[in-house]
Order: sequence, then structure tokens, then C-alpha cells
Amino acid sequence: MSAAARILREYGFTIAGIAIGVAGIVALGAMGERIVRFIEGGDRFVLGQISVAGRGMGMGTGFTAGGMLPASAIRAIAGVPGVSGVQAQVMLPLNPSTSQFMTLTQELVLGLDLSVPTPNRQYPTLPVRAGRALRRGDRRVAVVGASFAASHGLHVGDRLLLEGDSYEVVGVLERTLTAPDRFVIVPIEDARRQWIAKDRLLRTVIASGAAAVDAADLNTGAAVGWRDGEDPDAVARRIAARVEGVNVQLPSELSALLRSSTAFFSALLAGLGVLAFVIGGLSLANTIAAAVFERLRDFGVKRALGATDWRLGREVLAEALAVTLSGGAVGVALAMLLGVTVDRWAARTGQQLFLFSGRLLGGSVVFSVLLGAAAAAYATLRVVRLSPAEAIRRGA
Amino acid sequence: MKSYRAPDGAAIQVLDGVDLSVPPGCLAVVLGASGSGKSTLLNVIGLLEDADEGDVIVNGERVSALSRSAKSRARGRYFGFVFQSFLLLPSLTALDNVLLAARYADRGLDARRRAHQLLGRFGVLERQAHFPPQLSGGEQQRVAFCRAVLNDPPVLLADEPTGNLDDANGRVILDALRERARAGAAVVMVSHRPEAVSSADALYRMREGRLEPASGGGVS
Repeated sequence: MSAAARILREYGFTIAGIAIGVAGIVALGAMGERIVRFIEGGDRFVLGQISVAGRGMGMGTGFTAGGMLPASAIRAIAGVPGVSGVQAQVMLPLNPSTSQFMTLTQELVLGLDLSVPTPNRQYPTLPVRAGRALRRGDRRVAVVGASFAASHGLHVGDRLLLEGDSYEVVGVLERTLTAPDRFVIVPIEDARRQWIAKDRLLRTVIASGAAAVDAADLNTGAAVGWRDGEDPDAVARRIAARVEGVNVQLPSELSALLRSSTAFFSALLAGLGVLAFVIGGLSLANTIAAAVFERLRDFGVKRALGATDWRLGREVLAEALAVTLSGGAVGVALAMLLGVTVDRWAARTGQQLFLFSGRLLGGSVVFSVLLGAAAAAYATLRVVRLSPAEAIRRGA
Repeated sequence: MKSYRAPDGAAIQVLDGVDLSVPPGCLAVVLGASGSGKSTLLNVIGLLEDADEGDVIVNGERVSALSRSAKSRARGRYFGFVFQSFLLLPSLTALDNVLLAARYADRGLDARRRAHQLLGRFGVLERQAHFPPQLSGGEQQRVAFCRAVLNDPPVLLADEPTGNLDDANGRVILDALRERARAGAAVVMVSHRPEAVSSADALYRMREGRLEPASGGGVS
């Protein structure tokens, strides 16, 4: 009889018990990882660029929220020492009537000035899953985020209607599990048209000729890069000091702001994670210890046959590790099956609820094995303290 | 000497000045009422539990004074156990149960061949791949006996080995114990069966923790 078959026969229920505990830990952990990836992605993004907006309030949203940022201001920013590049941007809510309090999850239109490279150090380009990225000279074409494509049923070559204009989808981004998943990225010229179409006040001002507004002035913000060796916060402060009429976000401040705005979720996740590990861990440790105590009589018999404490301890530990590993593997598989099933259903609305990262899976298995070994070691120490006769008596 | 603590803390003397010497080739049978200390006597002899005072000597070696690990090894080397309730491991096949004795006594060589021989001799070779719950009581005890004698131990301890068996199976086990004694082992058996009493080389009776010679055995 093979060792694997024997362990399965002997510990079938124990393995099932451990599997359920580990599945709980991994499933909850995967939901946590999903949100952590979202927050980390946003954090990496804001730390990769200096975000500048025009002073005041306007249609602009996301990380460039603010008033209009005219072309003159963009030129002035480009001239500030330490600045390596400036890319004008227009960032608008796809549907302005939607409540915008969840700015991190809303669908956004991002217009990019394709005549200059994107200066974000963390995301100089966004990975394209299908089709192509936007190119200089493109018009009425769009690259859409993975979640946006899923929820709107879009593929490369499909048409998308934005403010009455038809756009061809030329690319779909890889899933990033962060904000760009819900972006529609278009050339800045097209985004400006959409802005005007969305904003009645802006249309009125331009039509009246009361303000000298050029098409190039219609920017909600700009992404600014810094030269190698420069401190981004120092460059941001320099821009604020030298260029009038702008709101400059210090990357470190924006990062802190993002973290504080997601602090509730982070705390909730940490709490859930701790709870999952405590409950799952206790269940696992209890299952392993109970499995050892259940076989008290067998251990008594083995000691009667000549097994030393050390030999018995090694055997119990090895079996506990094998059982924990088996239970852990089954638990991970169960959690992944659950995650994939739920995510397949959630994908219809562009959502992904689980992220089974390597660190989560590895950490869960290591945690389970260590805890299983500790529980087995504790139970074994208790067992070997008994005389063989006592173990046989109590186990009978 | 051996005593236990009652729940109220009072000491219960289970073995009191017991002095038993069983030479090789002798089948000693111990009689006694339930709770008289018979099983405790076997446990102490077989190092399954320690006496409060006194020694257990096997082949001139004071095994009761050994360290825990050495006692474990001595159990595998010197003793074979046959229990009333068989005590086979339910997750192991009959053959693996028998081989367990060799594993802990570090006698891997030839153990499998000898296990097959023994199982064949006791008529359970065809059941070698069966698990204990799939065996009858008689078959289980025969497998347990094979396990007890696999390493050819010089001392064989049998605690009511026929207590859960019918007459036919009981006779098989008693014959096997007698045969072990004839082969040179010192056999100590706790039993109530008349056949065991009639064929004992030495007969004793336990009474309130004391061991006394009893009449009715073959050679005393």
C-alpha cells in the first residue's frame, strides 16, 4: 500500500477539514489582494509623475481634477528647471450624471497629447492585450481598458459612441486591476470635442468670444516628468512657485492622499485577513492536533513495538506535513475554483473580485504547513509523554 | 511495586512485592480476578509502564533502569505482545501490521519473507492485503500473534489473548503460545481458559496485587 494511499485512507477527513480552512484563507486573501493591487496600482501611477491641473473647478476629474490648464501654462511648466517632459491631458467622466464620489472606480475618458511621449515613469506605456496603442495623428479611435471592454462588450474593430461621435476601438488594454481598466483613451483633440459637448458653460463661453480660448487651451491637466536625479517633490514645488494659475500635486502628497482615501478599505482588508488567518489557522491547528490525539492508541501500539519518542515524533511530524500539504493544495484548488467561477460571472460587468497572487498562494501554503507542523509537534509532545500502556488505555 | 492514584488522591496498590521469574522455555499463566493487577504486571514486565519500585531483568540486563529511548529499543528487541483486543492499526493491511514490528526493531532484512511465512502458518496469508475491520476476530488475533513473534522475541507477553475468541480460534492461539515456549521463549500469559491452565508450566494467581503460586499447572 503506497504511503499516499495510506495517508489518504487514514486522514481523508482531516485533509478535507484542512482544505476547507485553507480555502477560506486563500479566498478571502485573494479578494484582499485584488483590492490591494488596485490601491498599489494607483499609488505607483501617482508616484510616477507630477500631476498638474488648472486652478479652480471644472469638468476635469481623476488625478488631474481642476480648472482649465491653458497651453501657455503647459509651455511655462516645460521651461521649469528639472522638468523632462509635459503631456497635456483631458480627463473627463464618461457619464457626468453618474455620482462621482467613487472616483477610483468610475469610467473615465482620457485624452492624451500623442505628439509627446507619456512622461509617467511607472507607466510610460500601458500594455495592450489586443489591437494597438494610440498613435500620433489618430482621430476618432479609442483604446479601452479591459473592464470597460468587458462591461460594454467591446472588441477591436467595434464602434463606440461618445458624445454623438462614433469611435473605432483599435486596442484593448491588458487587465491592470487598477484605474486604467475603466478608461477610454482617445487622442486629446477628440477628448476636447467631448469636453465641449459635455460642458454647456464652456460652449457658451467659446461661442460668445468673451474669452480668448484656443483649442490647445482645453486641457484639464498635464502629466509632468522630471529629469534623472531630480527630487520629484522639489520639482513640483518649483512648478508651483514659478507657474501661475496651476494646482500642482506633489507625488508624495498625492500618494499619501490616495492611501488615506483608501485607508478604510485597507483597514477592512487587514482585519479580514487577520480574521481569516486566525479562524482558518485555529481550525487547521485543531484539526491536526485532533487527528494526532485520535490515533493515541496507534501510537501506544507503535511504542510497544519499539518506536522511540524521536522516531515516533518524526513519523507524526512527517505525516502531519504530508496531510497539511495535501489539505493546503486541495484548499488552494477549491479557492481558485470558487474564484474563477465567481470571476467568470462577474466578468460580464467587467469586474474581477479575486486575485490569486504568487505571494498569497505561497504564503498560505507556508503558513498552513508551519501551523500544521507546530500543532503536530505540540500534540506529539503530549503523546510521547504518556507511557505506551497509558496511551493504549486512553486511546481505546 | 506499583500504585495508582485514585481520583480522591488515595494510593491504590496494584502490585505489591511481586517477584516473578520465568525461565526460557517456560509458559507461565497468571490467573486472578478483574482488577487484581494482572495486566499491570504484564505492562511492567514489558516496559509499557514503569513500576514505582523494583527491577525488570531480561537475559541478565536490568531493562527497567534504561533511559526512555533505550527502553523503547529494548521493547522491540526483547518483547512480543499479544493483547486481548488485538490492537492492530486499522489503517494498515494485515501484512503491514505484521511488518510494523520489524520496522521499529530495525530488522528489515528478511522481515517480509518471515511475515509471509508466519501469515501462511496461521492461515491468514490470503488475507494479507485486508485491513483489520475486514478480518474476523480470530483472524485479527492470528495476525497480531504474527506481529508479536516476527522478531522472535525472547519474552512473549499475552494479556487475555483468547478473551475475544471462540474456542477454535482460542485453541490456535494457545497452541501457538505453547509452541513459542517450546522454542525457547519465556511466555507469560494472563488467561482464564481451562486449556491454558492445564498446559501451563507454571501457574500463578494475583490477589490484591500479590502474586502467589497456584495449583493446577503442569510444572510449577
